[in-house]
Amino acid sequence: MTISPIYALRETGQNLWRNVLLTTATIITIGVSLLMFGSFFMFDYAVDNATQRWEGGIEFVIWMNPDASVEQDAAIQEALNSSPQIQNHTYVDQFETFEEFKELFADTPEMIEVVTPEAMPPSYRVVPLDPDADVVAELANQFRGRPGVKEVVSANETIRAIQDLADRVGLFLFLGSFVLLAAATLLILTNIVSAIRNRGQEIEIMKVVGATNWFIRIPFMLEGLAQAMIGALFAWGGLYAFRRFVISEFSEPDGLELLAGFEVSDNEFFSTSILVLGIAIAVSVVGSLVAVTRYLDA
Amino acid sequence: MIKLENVTKVYKGDTVALRDATLDIAKGEFVFLVGASGSGKSTFIRLLNREEVPEHGRIFVAGKDIAQLSTWKVPYLRRNIGYIFQDFKLLPNKTVGENVAFALEVIGKPRHVVKKQVPAILELVGLTQKLENFPHELSGGEQQRVSIARAFVNRPLILLADEPSGNLDPQTSVGIMRLLDRINRTGTTVVMATHDRGIVDTMRRRVIELDRGVIVRDQARGVYE
Repeated sequence: MTISPIYALRETGQNLWRNVLLTTATIITIGVSLLMFGSFFMFDYAVDNATQRWEGGIEFVIWMNPDASVEQDAAIQEALNSSPQIQNHTYVDQFETFEEFKELFADTPEMIEVVTPEAMPPSYRVVPLDPDADVVAELANQFRGRPGVKEVVSANETIRAIQDLADRVGLFLFLGSFVLLAAATLLILTNIVSAIRNRGQEIEIMKVVGATNWFIRIPFMLEGLAQAMIGALFAWGGLYAFRRFVISEFSEPDGLELLAGFEVSDNEFFSTSILVLGIAIAVSVVGSLVAVTRYLDA
Repeated sequence: MIKLENVTKVYKGDTVALRDATLDIAKGEFVFLVGASGSGKSTFIRLLNREEVPEHGRIFVAGKDIAQLSTWKVPYLRRNIGYIFQDFKLLPNKTVGENVAFALEVIGKPRHVVKKQVPAILELVGLTQKLENFPHELSGGEQQRVSIARAFVNRPLILLADEPSGNLDPQTSVGIMRLLDRINRTGTTVVMATHDRGIVDTMRRRVIELDRGVIVRDQARGVYE
């Protein structure tokens, strides 16, 4: 049998309106949980993109002491030139380092005021032939502790630090979104059960006059779907804002060098949106199906 | 139209609501079900509407064994059966017209059919002027007429009535019985459970008496006792 779209929409709207407070709570919970879920994926994409850039030319930086002698400097340069494992290297002098420093701390001029180019450590930016993380680490180790060397920082460590942070944040977002999604499913269920109880007599009459189970069920299921879709819409708006105002902030040219490449492409944003929509539909179907099969057909 | 073959219905706790009931009700008959409270009248009606399923025996409605009917087919059976409640069960937030139309809308009848049939049935029950009134604005008798209109608007083959005059005064009950008699004369089979001795004795129709789930009397043109 067919169900009139006008009838279905009218009944769904009435159900939602009758329980407007619970409906609002459900929509907010769904929205927040989907926002967290989507953020998890976008964050993951962004970290992948950021670290991928480093993987293309894994490098390490040899920071020299500002007062290193010419001989110490020459020894390091010689070692770099003679190593068969090194593709090339760039020397960044104290003035160039100071320029980088000024760019990094452009927002805090008081920091720049107290620093002079002479205090800046010069460095060698090294691109090894083999980008394998272990090879890079071993290579970097060869320069640690040498006379005149202040510190050797490999990009690999930086990547690991980012990935470690990303894993922790991601785990929090993932677990949090799961807890909230479970709560959202229960709220949808509660909302529909409440609507079913409010309309007990109506449902009894419908059954007596011969309405099919699906005819009775559909407005309740649409109610769950509507809540999930509105929640998904809010989540989508949040994700759009997250991408537009947070992620893009990191990838701007004057942002932190470390986080350059921390961005989400249009395709990745689209697939995240589809995923969020799919989760919303799944949550609504589970919540409303349990409600109508357990409480409506009894 | 209705046929029971050795039908037994037992509720939890071994309460036998109907025991080995066998009978035939022809198309267009008017049948009173009488008996004390708990004798099985309501169970009899609920079995015919497939709200209950018997433990034993077979129940045929319009030639179909409804005890064996798939669950998804039950709504289609009920479209051939009108049901009148003792307490009317009108929806308080809907007008008279909307209450009656509801019975057609929820079985997917097109709007033009609803618009045509609702005024026609309200005219039959004498409530044309009350189309826009809400149930709380009606008397008990009028509310029962709306309930009858809702049960009959789809022109069912069978009308089941569970104590339809139970909440009404004797004079109003007479009006309701006249209406049911009029519907019966259109060829609709009416099965009515009642405690109302006056109505049964006045109308002199077939009487089936139940006592603790057993049919103890089946009398044409019978009286209450």
